[in-house]
Amino acid sequence: MFEIKPIFNALCRSKVGAILLLLQIAITTAVVSNASFIIYDHVQYLNKETGFPQDELFRFTVLTFGKDRELSQQFELDEAMLRNIPGVINAVTTNAVPLSGSGSSSSFRLKPSPEESESVNAAYYFADEHALETFGVKLIEGRNFLPEDVRITNTIENAPNVAIVSKAFAEAMFPDEPALGKNFYYFGDKPLKIIGIVDTMLSPWPRSSRPPENTILVPMINPGMYQHIMVRTQAGERAAIMRQMEDVMLDAYNKRVIINIEALDQVKQDYDASDVLMMRMLIVIILVLVSVTALGIFGLTQFNISKRTKQIGTRRALGARKSDIIRYFLVENAMVCLGGLFIGSISAVLLGTQLMQWYSIPALDNSYVAVTALAVFAMTMLAVVVPAKRAANISPSIATRTV
Amino acid sequence: MLKMQKINKVYQTEMVQTHALRDFSLEVNEGEFIAVTGPSGSGKTTFLNIAGMLETFTDGEYELDGVRVGGLNDNQRADLRNQKIGFIFQGFNLIPDLNLYENVEVPLRYRGIKTAERKRRIERCLEQVGLGSRAKHLPQQLSGGQQQRVAIARALAGEPRFLLADEPTGNLDSLMARQVMELLEQINRDGATIVMVTHDPELARRAPRNIQIVDGQMADFTLYQGAAEHAVAMEA
Ligand SMILES: Nc1ncnc2c1ncn2[C@@H]1O[C@H](COP(=O)(O)OP(=O)(O)OP(=O)(O)O)[C@@H](O)[C@H]1O
Ligand SMILES: [Mg+2]
Repeated sequence: MFEIKPIFNALCRSKVGAILLLLQIAITTAVVSNASFIIYDHVQYLNKETGFPQDELFRFTVLTFGKDRELSQQFELDEAMLRNIPGVINAVTTNAVPLSGSGSSSSFRLKPSPEESESVNAAYYFADEHALETFGVKLIEGRNFLPEDVRITNTIENAPNVAIVSKAFAEAMFPDEPALGKNFYYFGDKPLKIIGIVDTMLSPWPRSSRPPENTILVPMINPGMYQHIMVRTQAGERAAIMRQMEDVMLDAYNKRVIINIEALDQVKQDYDASDVLMMRMLIVIILVLVSVTALGIFGLTQFNISKRTKQIGTRRALGARKSDIIRYFLVENAMVCLGGLFIGSISAVLLGTQLMQWYSIPALDNSYVAVTALAVFAMTMLAVVVPAKRAANISPSIATRTV
Repeated sequence: MLKMQKINKVYQTEMVQTHALRDFSLEVNEGEFIAVTGPSGSGKTTFLNIAGMLETFTDGEYELDGVRVGGLNDNQRADLRNQKIGFIFQGFNLIPDLNLYENVEVPLRYRGIKTAERKRRIERCLEQVGLGSRAKHLPQQLSGGQQQRVAIARALAGEPRFLLADEPTGNLDSLMARQVMELLEQINRDGATIVMVTHDPELARRAPRNIQIVDGQMADFTLYQGAAEHAVAMEA
């Protein structure tokens, strides 16, 4: 019925074209399945909740060169002034800007040193009681910092003893029991008591392989000449407020420089830029590979047909129906394609393992290989239908009319 | 067995209209061996193609083994071709990527014959043309005469009632041509009806009945060689 054996034998006797096509299909399958998985993973990431109302936030950096002001007082004056600007919801001084790619992280211990202890890595934000509202993160348990929890210091001795942690951190540190009210330790043996738990609040490195969900807020201000300030506004007012930011800050005190006034969604975009570029390149590669393969199949079949017009005419003269001719090309293509898909699927899995080792990419989901293989199969079959139909329409009289 | 009445065939190309067959009528009886001759371009191949349903005709009546061909669709013509007709071509038309066995198998597969039966027939036919030992060879490993014998085996494998040959010896030297002719005569003696187009007057003379096509029409004489010989024999 499908003439599998003679078609296979005939393929083996003129194999160059078939092998080229087979390799092309194999490469397409291997690359496209991995690339589409990476793209899917990336889209997942881009759509991931960060916990921050990004369109209401902006950040800027203050570089103070004047020596005539007490920095530990100036930041409070600045924050108070900012909060008074109409449209501003809240503002806070912080050591690190979320989603920006730069910040601090540390290991936090379950027990004080020198005891043996589990530890969990987390990014930390130093900020006062305005952080919760400014960041826009959602408190799901416990309470916010009180003004008396906040320490303005640069020494360990005077470090705070309470913290608000993300839900992910709480669960990582205390997998089996409620975390609220428990202590964990930093600087070796300094205890931090969990007084509040917030829902999602990502670290400055949302793309990191260290879980970016593990974050903590510590009520501390470390006044310095280089200070980040986060401002949250009504969504529609942000652009206007950002424009006046340099002026109002310099009006308040002018021996300093205001730089990096940037909306938080822009911050995230910059952080993701190289990733997005890579995704675009992957999409282009997929499109190019797929169309080259489709064209290759189309061309090869076309070539096969023009090479075999006399043979097709002869087959028709010997009693082949048009459908037999179409089936011949479909079966032939299916054989080459299945061979290619077999090699391609194995290569896809191997390539996936390599990529996982080279870059921090999750393990390739095999369903991607399966779906890609199916799609490539369908595409090659479609590419072969048109030339096969044309072949079927070759007149059987070709058999006697050509020598 | 084959009956054509006032068949016309007009080829319409962009510039010209070629009347390849005009009011062509012919009746062929079961078991005949007919040689068709005529000048180049006179319509011999056109006639053979129409007889073998490789081409349709413009008008007229054609009946093959009781079936009116004019009303058949493409699939029906393909099936009828497969069952009733064996073709032998000037250029052999073997499929280069298939070995001899697979070549002879082609029409049998289209007929849907089972593997064991196919094998039996293929071996018998290759044996009959003297190539039983070379079933695994590819066509390009054979001489022209051998290739044509494979093509004949392929035509025979379907056990057709009707063999159509368009200059089957046209590409062969005279020795090979004679061998092929002897094979065809043998096949005819075994019961198949044969119509053969040829340019070779010597081969034509060996066929019991000769017809000549000139300018798309049957020339006004038909020579029955066999009958003449028969008459001579009676006189003696
Ligand atoms: N497909 C076609 N389109 C147009 N004209 C054609 C076509 N096939 C054949 N003809 C014309 O029909 C006429 C008869 O051709 P045919 O092939 O039947 O001649 P022939 O007797 O077989 O010649 P030869 O002895 O050279 O093989 C010729 O004039 C030829 O040019
Ligand atoms: Mg001819």
